[in-house]
Amino acid sequence: MTENRKKILEMLAEKKISVDDAYRLLNTIDSAESGQESTSKGGTTAKAKPKYLRVTVLPDAEHEHSQNVDRVNVRIPMSLIRAGIKLTSLIPSEARDKVNGALREKGINFDVRNVKPDDLEELIGSLSELEVDVVSAKGEKVKVFVE
Amino acid sequence: MNRPPTWMHIRIQGERRGFGLWLPLFLLLPLALVVLIILSPLILISVLILLPGGRALWALRVLRAAFGVFCSLRGIRIDIQSRYQSVYISVV
Repeated sequence: MTENRKKILEMLAEKKISVDDAYRLLNTIDSAESGQESTSKGGTTAKAKPKYLRVTVLPDAEHEHSQNVDRVNVRIPMSLIRAGIKLTSLIPSEARDKVNGALREKGINFDVRNVKPDDLEELIGSLSELEVDVVSAKGEKVKVFVE
Repeated sequence: MNRPPTWMHIRIQGERRGFGLWLPLFLLLPLALVVLIILSPLILISVLILLPGGRALWALRVLRAAFGVFCSLRGIRIDIQSRYQSVYISVV
């Protein structure tokens, strides 16, 4: 166990930080360590490319053995998202104008013609920092993240 | 582009009974090749018709993109479990 981890656990025991804060800090240390590992193994790459988008719906600790809570575990390859977004470049120009018009009607000022392959890579790259964590009142824990 | 997926595993479990299926996706490729060969005269005619409007290139790009999407399916996994039913789909 590293010194930083010990410190976080001590602060948690002393109730100086909340459980959520401790979890977040431990995750930060984990990601920093895995980043260092990949740098030392791969040389130049600091961060591994995300491979999958994961969506999980699991019961929380209280409802873990409950049969009433649905469980969902979805893994979508990033390459599928990439291929799907690339399909937008194949939309015929007439259809593109219609899409732009529909978006404008909804108050979204976005031109699908401006989506370029470089932007897609940037968009998918930035997904690596995505993490959605929702706990519902029904005892479900929804997580959206990339790995 | 990724390698095309080889198998699709589907498992559906109901309250009383369930079933599992292993679909050999790798068999689709030779099948598609046979269909392509059979339909090649028709494809050639449609390409010649679409060529002046510049649509032939677009149609080929769509085909390529569709194949890209098919290849990207490898690694997808969907696992949904409710109280009485569970569905599992995986592409490998």
